[in-house]
Amino acid sequence: MFVITLMVFMFISIMMGLLMYVAQHPEIAGRSAMVGAKTSIIGNADWASFLNLLIQCILALGSLGFGMVTSWIFGREYSDRVVKDLLALPISRFTIVASKFIITIIWCLLLAITLFAGGLLTGLAVHIPGWSIEKAVHAFRIFSGSSILTLMLCTPVAFIASASRGFLLPVGFAILMLIITNFVAVGLPNIMPYFPWAIPALYSGIAGREALPPAAALSYFILFATGIIGFFGTTAWWRFADQN
Amino acid sequence: MEHVIETKNLTKKYGGLNVVDAVSLKVKKGEIYGFLGLNGAGKTTTIRMLLGMVRPTSGESYLNGARVNAGNRALWNKIGYLVEIPYSYPDLTVKENLEMMRRLRLIPDAGVVDAGIEKLRLGPYRDIKAKNLSLGNAQRLGLAKALMHNPDILLLDEPANGLDPAGIVEIRELLFSLSRDRGAAIFISSHILGEISKFATRIGIIHQGKLIQEMDIGQLEKLRKRRLLIDVHNKNSARSFLEKFGFSATFAENGFLELSDSDAINNPEKVNGSLVEAGYPPFMVKVEEEDLETYFLRAIGHTGGHA
Repeated sequence: MFVITLMVFMFISIMMGLLMYVAQHPEIAGRSAMVGAKTSIIGNADWASFLNLLIQCILALGSLGFGMVTSWIFGREYSDRVVKDLLALPISRFTIVASKFIITIIWCLLLAITLFAGGLLTGLAVHIPGWSIEKAVHAFRIFSGSSILTLMLCTPVAFIASASRGFLLPVGFAILMLIITNFVAVGLPNIMPYFPWAIPALYSGIAGREALPPAAALSYFILFATGIIGFFGTTAWWRFADQN
Repeated sequence: MEHVIETKNLTKKYGGLNVVDAVSLKVKKGEIYGFLGLNGAGKTTTIRMLLGMVRPTSGESYLNGARVNAGNRALWNKIGYLVEIPYSYPDLTVKENLEMMRRLRLIPDAGVVDAGIEKLRLGPYRDIKAKNLSLGNAQRLGLAKALMHNPDILLLDEPANGLDPAGIVEIRELLFSLSRDRGAAIFISSHILGEISKFATRIGIIHQGKLIQEMDIGQLEKLRKRRLLIDVHNKNSARSFLEKFGFSATFAENGFLELSDSDAINNPEKVNGSLVEAGYPPFMVKVEEEDLETYFLRAIGHTGGHA
């Protein structure tokens, strides 16, 4: 499962890179209207756009991908009906939940790094113009920041996976949040700083080039609070709820 | 002697229904307690409460003298359990599943995995993924996980489900030797009374959440209904004759004549003799003991029944 997710992220980053290549050489796209349409979204076929693309990628893909990984880590023992093996043990339930979260963090960060590295390598391989180390480092910082913020939003997914005893509902939740975020971004941009799932996008500056509006501290607070509530909600669930 | 498993008025309510209703039972060290009841009687919920997986609505349970509570980690080292169908991580092999369990239980000795495989005869399936095991072997894997850390108390929920007759005998012997040699207390729930009565030392019958009977196995034998069955050629006349003689005779479900008087049951030769003399020689005279299933159904048929 781990390997599969790695491969998916790698694949996507390579596809992105190749997309840039096509943008550089529009004659290849000439035969396919769809590919041509996609490349025109990107703007200029240079590193600045590409790095921007990678950041957009981690925001959407991260939200979904990290959500799925979290659902799997927390929900699979329920759907495989093996969860009783984790209950009456000399290890505290808090430890079990905490270990799962640690694995979630490590796994998701590895996926994010794979995406970025894969993108970089592919980009270098197809010789996208406009390379500079400063741009890459700057982009990487935003990329990591976005990844970490998106990660924090995984804790409610973990809670839903545990409470619904499966992984279908939490995946559905992750998808729903993604949809709502896009909807809010387009239709209700004023709410964006207060809606936890929209905050990583704001941080990255993708949704409009201006920095976060004055409610920046509040936004961070909302996001962290969501993360922490999700974490303690999940541990409380494991510790106190009836496990049938 | 101290009780290693004890519940006091243990109750669990789900949506207005008392699934477990004020159950108070005690199990001593070395005892094998058979917890009998129909599906839905409350057996599994009781076991889950004993394991801290479900919180009681009221009442308490104690294991080894300590109050059961999900947070009380020290308890679980000495308890082994098998609840309902034993699932394992489907993509891990038998050996890997056992190794996983060993680590979760913090057992330092790596040899327990192989010992478990041998004891439960899982050798040929060592490297087979759990999802490809037959039900019987999945059950054995579940038992291997439950026994790995040499527990003093075993809580088993229908462990013989899915086992073939040979498997059932093996499990029975395994549990018997555990209780005899290691003094482990075994609490085993089932609805197969015949099997349980072969090795339990004490029985508790639960029906609709309530513990309606509890007794040592010896007492059970005494409570089984017995009857004298007779087959003759002229049943109606024979019946009137017996009635005149002072025995109340009825027709059993299989058409035979049935006498329930203890005098008749204890002295079938007397009845036989009288019938022969009167000209109704029976060609079948049998003292039949109620089978355990019937006893069980009879016991639960009377809610609030007496022992």
